[in-house]
Amino acid sequence: MPSTDNAVVVDGVRKTFGSVVALADISFKVGRGEVLGLLGPNGAGKTTTVDILSTLTRPDRGHAEVAGHDVVSDPAGVRQSIMLTGQQVALDEMLTGRENLVMFGRLQGLKKSQARSRAKELLGQFDLVDAADRVVSTYSGGMRRRIDIACGLVVRPEVVFLDEPTNGLDPRSRQSIWELVSDFKEAGIATLLTTQYLEEADALSDRIIVIDHGRIIAEGTAAELKERIGATYCEIVPRHLTDLPAMAEALGSLLPEKNRMALTTASDRIAIPAPDGPRTLAQALSQLNAANIDLLDIALRRPSLDEVFLALTTENTGDTSATRVERIEAADHGAQYVGRHRKRTGDTSATRIDAGVF
Amino acid sequence: MTAIAAVQPTTSTVQQWWVLTVRLITPTLRNGEVLTQVAASIMFTVGFYIPLKQIMGVFAQGMSSYGQYLMPLIALQAIAFAGVSAAFRSATDSVQGINRRFKAMPIPPLTPLAARMSASIYRCCIALVASLVCGHVIGFRFYGGVAHAVGFCLVVLAIGAALSLFGDLIGAVTQNPEATTPILLIPQLILGLLSVGVQPVERFPKWIQGFVRDQPTSQDVYALRALAGDSTPAAGAVSWSVIGPMLLWVLVFIAGSILLHALVSWRRR
Repeated sequence: MPSTDNAVVVDGVRKTFGSVVALADISFKVGRGEVLGLLGPNGAGKTTTVDILSTLTRPDRGHAEVAGHDVVSDPAGVRQSIMLTGQQVALDEMLTGRENLVMFGRLQGLKKSQARSRAKELLGQFDLVDAADRVVSTYSGGMRRRIDIACGLVVRPEVVFLDEPTNGLDPRSRQSIWELVSDFKEAGIATLLTTQYLEEADALSDRIIVIDHGRIIAEGTAAELKERIGATYCEIVPRHLTDLPAMAEALGSLLPEKNRMALTTASDRIAIPAPDGPRTLAQALSQLNAANIDLLDIALRRPSLDEVFLALTTENTGDTSATRVERIEAADHGAQYVGRHRKRTGDTSATRIDAGVF
Repeated sequence: MTAIAAVQPTTSTVQQWWVLTVRLITPTLRNGEVLTQVAASIMFTVGFYIPLKQIMGVFAQGMSSYGQYLMPLIALQAIAFAGVSAAFRSATDSVQGINRRFKAMPIPPLTPLAARMSASIYRCCIALVASLVCGHVIGFRFYGGVAHAVGFCLVVLAIGAALSLFGDLIGAVTQNPEATTPILLIPQLILGLLSVGVQPVERFPKWIQGFVRDQPTSQDVYALRALAGDSTPAAGAVSWSVIGPMLLWVLVFIAGSILLHALVSWRRR
């Protein structure tokens, strides 16, 4: 067992395919028992990163280690220590679930009897006993995913790569995969999770790396990333849109000049910075009450990871002229991680992003 | 956590090869692939023998029977069918992503290919036995003694191995199981019909005789016909000039396929 505390070390890795730069210069570490979320849009370089770490592709430059084994000079050592599940289920669909488990056990050197008893154990733990002797091609999506992961656990891995593991799964199956990730953590197994679902990265990861165009554009816990994008703000929606100017008037110094300027006729709500949290909200509420303005909604909000992600990835395109609202709306077209707030003029976080925090 | 065992056993290449071979053979016993293979041999026999016997039989170059004349082609068509199955499996593995998974496991890079080839040889054996039984029914017999009969079987299997390796390559390149069958079946039919397997080269139009004579199926047929022998001397003698071109074609096919396999896996890195 290597003595290093890090299960995965990536240092200055670059990979190009022809003229396409898949990874520009990536460095990160994953500790033992840590879950690292690798977040990014399609084509950001997530799968290339996983491919390099699982020895399927060689890096052009840089150095990467998995469980203490160098991916270039000791690929065999790496392969002994990892489990890889790709975006699609990689099993022999003409065999039964049990036969697949026994096969993977035998491929990893277990004796026939050991492989059989291990298969039985895993079928029980993954709730597949009833389906054990059916061919995998007849399994449902959730069952396939479970047997796929179970096949990777016949022998204990040091590092687990989950490449978009819950893609296309129903909520219950997704939940069971999530529970499994916590089990990995408890067992001291490092997990590298790639995902497009921010909710998933938020729920499972100890740390998140946001990657776009082959570069790491942000790194930290979900809370830290949200913090970097913008602090808590208070969002106020009037019952009658015509009240908006009166509202801006009534808020007085609570609404910074910058945000006031950003208000347009298209605005349907006002956002104000809420450094004091509930106290700011209470103050805004009493001022608006005094002005007799009828509200539809008033709430404290923190930017969702969706917004963080969109802000970070659009930031990276180098477009500095567009306001955040425009960016979110532009990203709305066709993007699946659409932010919940389609319009929010005068948002405090917008000014922060435009100031170029990253 | 109980779902994760603590053992880290050592792996053995031979065990891995065997496990991967068994994985490919097991489904053939369940999904009717063995039956299909046998049915294909019967189909080729019936499809060529019954309609062509009356027309071509007289031109069988003085051999004792048309069955004796036709047998090499029946064996070759059955073997080629096994090659198509190999391509289908290889493409299925590529597209299902199990190859990717094997590559990320402690398995030597050539072991999965070796296992697929072993499973192909198993299919070829079924095809060979089935076509020999069919041949027997239409009057085919070995006349050249045990050594030549064994030689006949080995040559058929060697050609089968070459075709399977080529089929496997097509499967790996296309990664599309449905596309493999037309890609391989059409050349197989054309080369089969435009060969000396059904009628002598002189019966073809002059302009195409050169192609008919030299193309691999014909060269294979000449060699197999000589190895099978006949009660008359018309089957030809077993000599280097008859066997040599066939061996050369097989070697070219195997070497070419291996080279392309290497190229494909290198380009995908």
